[in-house]
Amino acid sequence: MADPIRLLIVDDNEDILSTFSEFFNSMGYNVKTAVDGFVALKLLREKAHDFDCLITDLVMPNISGVGLISIVKKEYPDLKIIAMTGYGDQPGALASEARADVVLFKPVDLFKIEEKIIALLDVSNLKKHE
Amino acid sequence: MTTPLIGVSKSLLKIKELINHVANTCLNVLITGETGVGKEVVAQNLYEESPRTEHNFVKINCAALPETLLESELYGYEKGAFTGAHKKRPGKFQSAHKGVLFLDEIGDMPLSLQSKMLHVLQSGEFSPLGSDQDFKTDVWVIAATNHDLEKRIKQKQFREDLFYRLNIIKIDIPPLRERTEDIPLLVEYYFKLYKSEYPNNPGSKPDEDTMVRLCNYPWPGNVRQLQNCIKKQMVINSWDKVFDEMPAEDSHAIVPDISAHDSVKKGETRNLHPDFANDRISLISEFVDLSTSSEKLLQEISLKKIKKKASDRVEKEVITFVLEKVGWNRSRAAKILKVSYKTLLYKMSEFDINPPSK
Ligand SMILES: Nc1ncnc2c1ncn2[C@@H]1O[C@H](COP(=O)(O)OP(=O)(O)OP(=O)(O)O)[C@@H](O)[C@H]1O
Ligand SMILES: [Mg+2]
Repeated sequence: MADPIRLLIVDDNEDILSTFSEFFNSMGYNVKTAVDGFVALKLLREKAHDFDCLITDLVMPNISGVGLISIVKKEYPDLKIIAMTGYGDQPGALASEARADVVLFKPVDLFKIEEKIIALLDVSNLKKHE
Repeated sequence: MTTPLIGVSKSLLKIKELINHVANTCLNVLITGETGVGKEVVAQNLYEESPRTEHNFVKINCAALPETLLESELYGYEKGAFTGAHKKRPGKFQSAHKGVLFLDEIGDMPLSLQSKMLHVLQSGEFSPLGSDQDFKTDVWVIAATNHDLEKRIKQKQFREDLFYRLNIIKIDIPPLRERTEDIPLLVEYYFKLYKSEYPNNPGSKPDEDTMVRLCNYPWPGNVRQLQNCIKKQMVINSWDKVFDEMPAEDSHAIVPDISAHDSVKKGETRNLHPDFANDRISLISEFVDLSTSSEKLLQEISLKKIKKKASDRVEKEVITFVLEKVGWNRSRAAKILKVSYKTLLYKMSEFDINPPSK
């Protein structure tokens, strides 16, 4: 079997984090979590883990999701990004501007996120093999 | 010279680490915290650790200037753009090119300028007043405020879209009273600094007891207030005197409690109406009989009389509050209130304050 897909999930709401984490674990993903963009950035910069896809909330303390997305796009351009927001349109628009691959509005359906992950990673795999 | 960020508290160490991680990103930063906590120091440290130090750190205080002046300061103007514009003048956006633009007190920026600022941040372009040319900006925008911007958004005084655009990286500096571990280091640092500036000043470092007192004081003016105390001490060389002249040590503990406490419990006249007009009337009604004819009412109103009544009323409440807090230990209450024991006894009898009968 192929290696499991590695996800980094970022949200300042612990309930959401654990729900997501349980769900994706049960679906066979390899999951790490972070409570804000700063914790996530440190995880990425420590280089201890590699990730295939970042799923991030937008409005968070320290480094917001929008900030995290901008940094990740520059420093880890291969990492796919799914942004989720529950705060009206503005953060979502900023996330698109920061070139998140997908922007979803909360509440989001976990199965739908899974679909998006598959779609994003398949596309990139195809490109790699071309 | 940039002031180093002195401190070892968890929150300060985290701020330093955050600065370290974002100083090369050029993402908009919003720094929040009470007055004197060090927002400007954090902004300078961000600049200092960024790759932009070859260029300027430009500060503009958005609260200090009237609207039109603030606008021309920010964006500059062409000759003849308005009466008095005798020659062209570059704005802060130009002086900060490739450097840092520090928007201090952003929460006080007038709404009309907020829209323009939003537009500039969105498009990355601005044009000086009276010019039809667009300039590309490459500035790192760092904003600071001691307002609760979320609250100002609800009050329609701050644009939500501008808030989100600035709030990409948020650095919140807690008040000094929530990170007392930093106080001894700050005292040490500034004591040395002022001593080196004025070697002949008599001031002495605080002993252990004084340090405890310094750490227990709530510091409403935060680090700036602490600096002022150290400076004062160096001149008068008496920590006791410095403490005597500080605003009440317990002000923080007492003020927030008192409204919840007394007006409800005592069931007195004060009704806390949600809107100000009613609030004002209900407040005045405590001291003036508003039910009399308006002519009589105007005769009744005398600022002097009302002042006396109002201050008596507040004094009574505060004294009762403190006495309750200390279990009716009158000498402790007198100490906290900073009046003599005799004065306290006198006031208790004047205002008819009695311990609850068991
Ligand atoms: N952690 C710190 N280490 C050393 N000095 C500090 C620190 N924090 C604040 N100061 C000093 O305290 C003073 C006040 O700080 P600063 O001007 O940065 O506060 P501020 O948050 O911008 O206040 P305001 O809201 O009133 O503008 C300055 O002289 C600054 O150098
Ligand atoms: Mg300041």
